[in-house]
Amino acid sequence: MDVALERQLREDETLMEKNMLVTNLDKLLNWARGHSFWPVTLGLACCAIEMMATGGPRYDISRFGWEVFRASPRQADVMIVAGTCTRKMAPLLRRIYDQMPEPKWVIAMGSCANAGGPFVDSYSMLAGVDKVVPVDVYIPGCPPRPESLLYGLLQLQYKVSNPAKVRLMKHGK
Amino acid sequence: MENKVLKEQVEKLAALVSGEVEEILGELVLKVRAPHIIETLTGAKNFPNFPCDFLHDLCGLDLVDHLEVVYQLSSLRGPQRLRVKAIVERENPVIDSVTSLWQGANFLEREAFDMFGINFKGHPNLKRIYMWDDFEGYPLRKDYVTEPIEVRNIVRTRIEGE
Repeated sequence: MDVALERQLREDETLMEKNMLVTNLDKLLNWARGHSFWPVTLGLACCAIEMMATGGPRYDISRFGWEVFRASPRQADVMIVAGTCTRKMAPLLRRIYDQMPEPKWVIAMGSCANAGGPFVDSYSMLAGVDKVVPVDVYIPGCPPRPESLLYGLLQLQYKVSNPAKVRLMKHGK
Repeated sequence: MENKVLKEQVEKLAALVSGEVEEILGELVLKVRAPHIIETLTGAKNFPNFPCDFLHDLCGLDLVDHLEVVYQLSSLRGPQRLRVKAIVERENPVIDSVTSLWQGANFLEREAFDMFGINFKGHPNLKRIYMWDDFEGYPLRKDYVTEPIEVRNIVRTRIEGE
């Protein structure tokens, strides 16, 4: 690439960061994204039952504005991997992730999706979905209770609403 | 009373196909050798008065020195139940397919083939059902060694139309 052009672009970028309107618009967008996730229904095993319970009236995920579970990845922006991902399923999981529009996030729900869980020594088990897709929030439990899923989604909401703060926390500052 | 009549019939059938009859926890078990399996199951399906004409389940079994195929028979028209076990050699596990008797045996036999490597002769579509097509070995056999975690962590690419 042309060096002069590159410098120009970089200067534009720093200007963009100083730009009042754009930064505040970003903040607004992030706030909006965090408060209305559209999860794709990716129930793979028993964790899906807890995910459904979270969607039901008792735990009521719609209090937070995340109740729009989509059957198509093209309309979703967060993937809740609820359950055991086998090695046969892994390429398909990746395909569903690839079909989701940006920006997108992934929640690994339950021990199996985190690190293999009780089936880690099995011949057909993929030990953790982070081998296939980048995971934002890990929810432990076998299966996690609906409160855990809600807490995990709240953590993701925090992460999405405050990207700079999360980046700092990650590097220990 | 019914069980007694059924037992008589099963014993008559066992004599015909040189099998053994046992009673385990009130359940009749008929053990035969693999070549006689079609004959046995056709007989069980056509028992007068108490036909065992519903294939409840079919599965493989690894008993280290030989393999077995277990057929759980029952009926929609009565309480009769019968378990038929077919002994299959370990080195050359071949047995006749029962898809000609029950269409539903199709997927069950594919499962037994997938997990134990038992070949069902005459099966219309004998290929793996749970594992992917290029998987090596039969995972439920006693001598199967699971691949190390480093190998299992490699994500395979899917073959289109699998």
